[in-house]
Amino acid sequence: MENLENKDLTAGQADLTAENGAEPEIAPVFPEREAAAGGSPILECRDLSKSFGGTPALNHITLSVMRGRIVGLLGPNGSGKTTLIKLANGLLTPSEGVILIDGQAPNKESRTKVSYLPDRTCLPTWMTAVQLLDFYQDFYADFRRDAAEEMLTHLNIRLNQTIKQMSKGTREKVQLIMVMSRAARLYLLDEPIGGVDPATRDYILSTIISNYNPDAAVVISTHLIADVEKVLDDVIFINQGQLVLQSSVDQIREEKGMSVDALFREVFKC
Amino acid sequence: MLSKLLKHEFRATARVMGPLYLVLLVLSLCANGSIRLLDNRTSAFLNIMGGLVLFLYGACIAAVCIITLVLMINRFRTNLLGDEGYVMFTLPASVHQQVWAKLIVSVVWFAASAVAVCLAALIAVFHVEYVAHMVVWAQQILQNITAYYAVNGTMMILETIVLCAVSAATCCLMFYAAMAIGHSFANHKTLLSVAFYVLFLVVLQVCGLTSAFNCNFDLHIAGAAAIHAFMGMSIAASAVTGAIFYVITTQMLKKHLNLE
Repeated sequence: MENLENKDLTAGQADLTAENGAEPEIAPVFPEREAAAGGSPILECRDLSKSFGGTPALNHITLSVMRGRIVGLLGPNGSGKTTLIKLANGLLTPSEGVILIDGQAPNKESRTKVSYLPDRTCLPTWMTAVQLLDFYQDFYADFRRDAAEEMLTHLNIRLNQTIKQMSKGTREKVQLIMVMSRAARLYLLDEPIGGVDPATRDYILSTIISNYNPDAAVVISTHLIADVEKVLDDVIFINQGQLVLQSSVDQIREEKGMSVDALFREVFKC
Repeated sequence: MLSKLLKHEFRATARVMGPLYLVLLVLSLCANGSIRLLDNRTSAFLNIMGGLVLFLYGACIAAVCIITLVLMINRFRTNLLGDEGYVMFTLPASVHQQVWAKLIVSVVWFAASAVAVCLAALIAVFHVEYVAHMVVWAQQILQNITAYYAVNGTMMILETIVLCAVSAATCCLMFYAAMAIGHSFANHKTLLSVAFYVLFLVVLQVCGLTSAFNCNFDLHIAGAAAIHAFMGMSIAASAVTGAIFYVITTQMLKKHLNLE
């Protein structure tokens, strides 16, 4: 795992370096994921719209996310990223159109396939770390308790420590550990690196890369592009509830000759 | 999945109710000692201490009743409608299972608190003779009801227990429905929840009074049969009311969930 993580991040960084020169490197960065990609999409939106009291949050979005890809859901604040992720989790119902997880509308069956990291810490604060492990193990058959315990130990988190006793940063890490310790088919990570220090960002990204199921798709919603760019295969740009762009990172580098971060700044220039 | 939800719901609530019952038990034992002490009236200081213990005992009984109600409301609000809702509503469980888990656990705690308060009263006044007398009285009451009113005493007790359970569930569901509607709005969620609860109360009162005044049943039954019929109708009315609030709650959580 550790080797894979180092290899991936280094390869990603090499791509970014190449892009500043003449020829961007196009070789697949994650060969395992390239092999897993294909087949039916794990997440699909067809003409999806969501309005809140007449105000549109998502406006006729059509997109798909394939298995084995790490996808950046990118857009400025208030662009509809969280709404899209909430719809995929069944926390909201579409106003129009459909959203499908592995071919079915979000329901209790689809939730066995999706591992969701909300944009806030929402773990029950009275629970101890071990009670939290029990909780996830009880509800999710794909929860890898040994992996979670190993990561908690690595962070020097005592298993009898309550969530309330932990700092905000530690709580965020614990929540991420729980989410990434599942062998899910789709990981939906809403702002996983928002509001944390650069060292924690690195920890979070390496935890994601080291622990996700290679056959699964990972959707990372963020506006901190530069930090996540090195791990992304594909990007989806949305703005004011509308799909602006869906492309692979390699394609952007080939055709536009710029990094995703640079393209984002150009597209969303104020 | 419901059994797992129940397990974790009991775990979350027992950490509050367990210590509370323990405190009630200790204070009941102390109250028992105080009653004996006050009987002897040995010194003013001991009388004051005994009185203080009895006050704490009374306050603890009130706390058990209030906390049972507050816990029922708070668990629904924080665990399903607050930030924890992001965890709960993404579990592989249906909305119905989530609501049933909350409902069953709340009704169990209502029953447990009722039993705890009764036991606390028994412990406080405990005397072997009193308990023996109480058993005899209970038997006599049951026999008298059966003999004098020709009512099936056992059936009557069963009907009362069912009515209490259904009414407790309906009470919980009324709170749940009010909170589910109140929290579907963008702002003033708590205030709106209270407003909808008051609205439900008013509607129930109006419906109850209207049906009472317009009730013109001529069932040709009297005495024992009428009492059983009344109990049956009360249970049915409470169950129908609870079912309406259940539908409101689940539909609001399915279609209009608006987590903070």
